[in-house]
Amino acid sequence: MSESPESRRTFLKSAALLGGSAAAASQVPGLLARLAPAEAGSYLTPREAYPLARPENILYSVCQQCNTQCGIKVKLEHGVIAKIDGNPYSPWNLMPHLPYRTPVTQAAGVDALLCPKGQAAIQTAYDPYRIVKVLKRAGRRGENRWRSIPFDQAVAEIVEGGLLFKDVPGEEKRKVEGLRDLWVVRDPRVMNELAEDGRKVARKEMTLAGFKARHRERLKHLIDPDHPDLGPKNNQLVFMWGRLKAGRGELVRRFIEAGFGSVNAHGHTTVCQGSLYFTGKAMSEQYVWDAKDRKTKWTRGAKFYWQADQQSAEFIIFVGASPLEANYGPTNRASRIAQRLGDGALKIAVVDPRASKTAAKAWKWVPIKPGGEGAMALGMIRWIIDHARHDARYLTNANKAAARADGEPTWCNAAWLVRIEKGEPGVFLRASDVGLPKEKRVHRDGKTGEETPYEFDPFVVWKDGAPVPVDPYSEKAPVEGELRVKTEINGIAVKSAFELLVETAGAKTVAEWAAQADVKPADIAELAREFTSHGKRAVADIHRGVSQHTNGFYQVFAWYTLNLLIGNYDWKGGLAKATTYDAAGGKTDKIKQPDGTEVAWAQPYSVNTVERRLNPFGISVIRHGDKYEDTTLFRGYPARRPWFPLSSDIYQEIIPSIGDAYPYPAKALFIYMGTPVYSLPAGHTNIEILADPARIPLVVASDIVIGETSMYADYIFPDLSNLERWEFAGSHPNMIWKVQPVRQPVIAPIPEVVKVWGQEMPISLEALLLAIAERLGLPGFGADGFGPGKPFTHPDHLYLRMAANLAAGDRADQALPEASAEEMRIFLESRRQLPKPVFDPERWRQAAGSELWPKVVYVLNRGGRFDDFARGYDGDLLRNRYGTLINLYQEKTARTKNSMTGKYFPGIAAHVPAPTDVLGRTIDDERAGYDLRLITYREVMHTKSRTAANYWLLALLPENSVLMNRRDADRRGLKDGDRIRIHSASNPDGVWDLKNGRSRPIVGRLKVVEGLRPGVIAFSLGHGHWAYGAGDVVIDGQMVKGDPRRGFGVHANAALRVDPVIKNTTLSDLTGGSAVFYDTYVKVTRA
Amino acid sequence: MGSTAETVPPRRRDRRWSRRQLLNATLAAPGAAALLAQEVRAATPPAPSAEVAPLPPPREDDNALLRMQREVQTALRKPIHERRWAMAIDLHRCIGCSACTIACVVENKLPPGVVYRPVIDEEIGEYPHVSRRFLPRPCMQCENPPCVPVCPVKATSRRPDGIVEVDYEACIGCRYCIAACPYGARTADFGEFYTDGTPARQAYETEPSHEYGRSWRRDGKRSPAGNARKCHFCLHRLEAGLLPACVTTCVGYATFFGDVSDPESLIHELAGKRNVVRLKEELGTRPRVFYLT
Repeated sequence: MSESPESRRTFLKSAALLGGSAAAASQVPGLLARLAPAEAGSYLTPREAYPLARPENILYSVCQQCNTQCGIKVKLEHGVIAKIDGNPYSPWNLMPHLPYRTPVTQAAGVDALLCPKGQAAIQTAYDPYRIVKVLKRAGRRGENRWRSIPFDQAVAEIVEGGLLFKDVPGEEKRKVEGLRDLWVVRDPRVMNELAEDGRKVARKEMTLAGFKARHRERLKHLIDPDHPDLGPKNNQLVFMWGRLKAGRGELVRRFIEAGFGSVNAHGHTTVCQGSLYFTGKAMSEQYVWDAKDRKTKWTRGAKFYWQADQQSAEFIIFVGASPLEANYGPTNRASRIAQRLGDGALKIAVVDPRASKTAAKAWKWVPIKPGGEGAMALGMIRWIIDHARHDARYLTNANKAAARADGEPTWCNAAWLVRIEKGEPGVFLRASDVGLPKEKRVHRDGKTGEETPYEFDPFVVWKDGAPVPVDPYSEKAPVEGELRVKTEINGIAVKSAFELLVETAGAKTVAEWAAQADVKPADIAELAREFTSHGKRAVADIHRGVSQHTNGFYQVFAWYTLNLLIGNYDWKGGLAKATTYDAAGGKTDKIKQPDGTEVAWAQPYSVNTVERRLNPFGISVIRHGDKYEDTTLFRGYPARRPWFPLSSDIYQEIIPSIGDAYPYPAKALFIYMGTPVYSLPAGHTNIEILADPARIPLVVASDIVIGETSMYADYIFPDLSNLERWEFAGSHPNMIWKVQPVRQPVIAPIPEVVKVWGQEMPISLEALLLAIAERLGLPGFGADGFGPGKPFTHPDHLYLRMAANLAAGDRADQALPEASAEEMRIFLESRRQLPKPVFDPERWRQAAGSELWPKVVYVLNRGGRFDDFARGYDGDLLRNRYGTLINLYQEKTARTKNSMTGKYFPGIAAHVPAPTDVLGRTIDDERAGYDLRLITYREVMHTKSRTAANYWLLALLPENSVLMNRRDADRRGLKDGDRIRIHSASNPDGVWDLKNGRSRPIVGRLKVVEGLRPGVIAFSLGHGHWAYGAGDVVIDGQMVKGDPRRGFGVHANAALRVDPVIKNTTLSDLTGGSAVFYDTYVKVTRA
Repeated sequence: MGSTAETVPPRRRDRRWSRRQLLNATLAAPGAAALLAQEVRAATPPAPSAEVAPLPPPREDDNALLRMQREVQTALRKPIHERRWAMAIDLHRCIGCSACTIACVVENKLPPGVVYRPVIDEEIGEYPHVSRRFLPRPCMQCENPPCVPVCPVKATSRRPDGIVEVDYEACIGCRYCIAACPYGARTADFGEFYTDGTPARQAYETEPSHEYGRSWRRDGKRSPAGNARKCHFCLHRLEAGLLPACVTTCVGYATFFGDVSDPESLIHELAGKRNVVRLKEELGTRPRVFYLT
């Protein structure tokens, strides 16, 4: 590994250390050679052909200014991006999108829609505050004094450790453990043995002494030999990310899990809409054979959720969602909704405390009390059942065969019987409970062919006065059950799941539910009537406003249960889910030969296969996926910090848990494209921990700038913007077509070029991980990284293989056409601005395989793979369907305990009071004089932490405001434009403590409006930066002044409530994992 | 709620530019040039050249954008004085996203303080009966434009196809036209750059804009710096067979465009709708931009 001479030149030419596009310019031949051709001519000079509609100047890729991941059409001139539009091949950007087979020469002239953020991505890439070299901390954490160091040196220091900060006062003797010290278990067999016996100790199937005797020589590898289920020291490397999509996702998991053997690779899901995902997971759990546990159980629940098919719905209730501004709305959803509203084909209602831009288009705006969403859903459920407007035909179907008989693509367990013990619902009644026989079955492993006999104990419904066994997945024996069942069978008290719902919703009258949500009873009735007046083409579409509460899981559950009442899942105009082409590979199929025989088919590259991979084990730092009771840490209730057996990627728990060393201390933290300090509610709690080297000895960030979180790192490795790199962007639940958008480099990389594994590449997440892997010798990397003779020494080796999988399709009959000679020419010419470290046609062709290469070119020429418009529907159904059981009653949830109270979580869409602390106690800051509820929202032209460099967008909204209803302002004698400070019970001073003697008050300008519920104030996320180029930094002794334009406005996340019990993180939903944004009471003072 | 778009505060103009512009004006005899330009264009009907973007074959379910783009290309085959460009903005469909504002800024490389197409965001009513109205406001391309007669150097004129253009070489930056426009459609280019005052001015700001079919490489001193600037329906895109940038990027599909002299065109159809409204019609400006309310 060494720097190339070019990169050094590039660096020297660039302004200071940060000279963004100077680097790009120097790599683009002819950029400076061609000046304006007609310097002082008149209008009579010959006019020039417009260069931006020529296919040779266009590349298709994927936006990442927010996570909608729209297709983009990037137009370049002189190697610099001149304009970004929407990709007309992509269903995100044009309705209908162009047929996939449209030649690129014809698509070049068709520009498609793109939201303002996407268009401003030019300024994210060409940001003068981007870093181009590795920065090492030269002062205390967060002091923002940096030294630029060579890439190789940085990698060596991180891997080998040592007295890395001996020049920093107070850290003279602090020895940092390097990654080599943490990579202790390297033998997959040893890892597996420790894992298995560690589990046995936790299950009390092996004594601790027995474990210690058996693994005497290996105890030093464990975090704590007294708690072998914590896993090996490998787990003390923690990798957290903000935005990560496939491709880089494959890389990170290969590195952290398969290579390094750590369980601690965690995403950010819970800060977005965690409880939406994990309610989706709980509702999609299936009762099937589990190969690992070798029994049938609730498993395979997908971390996913549903959204409305806005393409065909007739009525949508958007709850806590504003698709015209956020929530994966612009460009895709917003354009369809606007078009169909304009055509009179769609009617929408908006339930939101704020009159959003979506509410501006709504037939009805219901300014609900924040946190009242679940109560409102239960009120609607009550009204619908009272008026018998639910789809009983759908709900009675107890299995697949019954659903098929009705033409229903899905079915639910509403009719299944639940055992009632001590008045509480618990497990489902099983056939054997009532003397019905178990079925003898054999599980046949698809790969090995191994056969395992087992007994299946069917579920039970009540029909015509008798119990009837149910196989949920039987295609032959349809079973329908009665919905209202409350009886006793063989002395066992049972109720149908539907009966439990009726009781839950029936606990209050519609008027009482309305009072709880503080909406009008008539609103509930009117919405419920409308919702049940469009057959399957009505949807309740929910987002963060529903999920980011301490009871978010149950609020989401209530709304999805409401949707179950009309059975709109998988129907055209109903609830949809995302469907993607598999790029990771590994899918198999069979090809029928003319002679009737079958030949096995497989995707060309299974990129997640790693020879000699480590299978990491142990409890994660965020304690997800494990039940507290089943571990050696169990010491009764409450646990020291909550456990999350039903969710994952608990962003708000990563750094605070490390801070508390619970369940164990971490030694090194990598942060990729994430800024927990800025984006988390009460993110300021993370600062205190990050700033303390004693609590996290090594912090490495991969970032494009020095951001609000990366400023606390020990090392910052410059990364590539979305316009310089690869990813496979996936899809969203409202996208009904099967797709896989491809992000690919469109401009020369801004960071300097280095050599890793003997190959030139820009400094990036890839270079960082590949270089560490090279130095350590991690499995899955190097000359044989993808198997003997198949190297993984350059990012292209991964990404082109994935592109090849896409070109081949994930079924035998899906291979794409090959690029014509003309398309091949355009492919090469349109990449003329890309230097060899990122674009080398020969390297790309070799990685993809010569045979597939022309098909890969076809995919890349279109920015991904997108099914044609006509493939959205299958008659009245969606073509890409969920197609199985949906849990109206969640047995798995009902048998999982809350680690703080020791009580079981409810299995039905219960009404759970909020806000509460982690012990479930009500938080009543209102009584303590905090008289306003603080909520956040998103303006369409900004994204949380990504648009600070976008001067075009800042010009639209230079400063955000604190919105307040006129009545609240009048009562306080406040006027529009007044500067106010926000205080909360957990931040009474209303301040961000940035450490090192620096702080920032939570002060913003007041905007007095009518369109906000009185008693609520709101601010939009995206402003109020103090880093990301907004603040001064010192690099190599030189002051780089921040740009005040990037720091205007208010960021009030630090006022959001800290949990009063665990004290160093925000409030959380212990079931669904959500970080809580909307449950804080504040007060304001004039600033 | 107030305007979200017109937030760039007007700044005091740097006197150097105005002096330079005055000098330019003296040397360039701009009035004559502008007239001549029109004459030449009128005399040579520019049949769509090889440079007009080829489009995919029409399909039954084509988006209206493709239909309108084909109609633009049809119009280009006519002599310039037979084209009547017009724009319709459907306020039901406008979602106030400002994509048009930004598309225009990027397409035309507009500097700080210059905006051709702001979107006004207004709050209506009192709680709880509240709504919001979004109003994109480009140049109205008036048939009777108040900005034209006030120009002391005849740098602004109305083309035969209806587009009111600014001759950047002629404009002296006196800003009379800015004051005269009842729609606030013109802003002054003070020669600034967004990334000045940062560690480095960025190349994207000095790459050429293609307004009026020319390459204008910005240096902050030469035109269009120092000029009055305004929307021209992306004339340079029209002549390449493309729709204006605000039309193709409109997330609500709310902006329509075409040759209103073509009775088969979508814009012709919309111009006859019952809910057509023009802004400040009482001034007699006869805007070529109309709204569907």
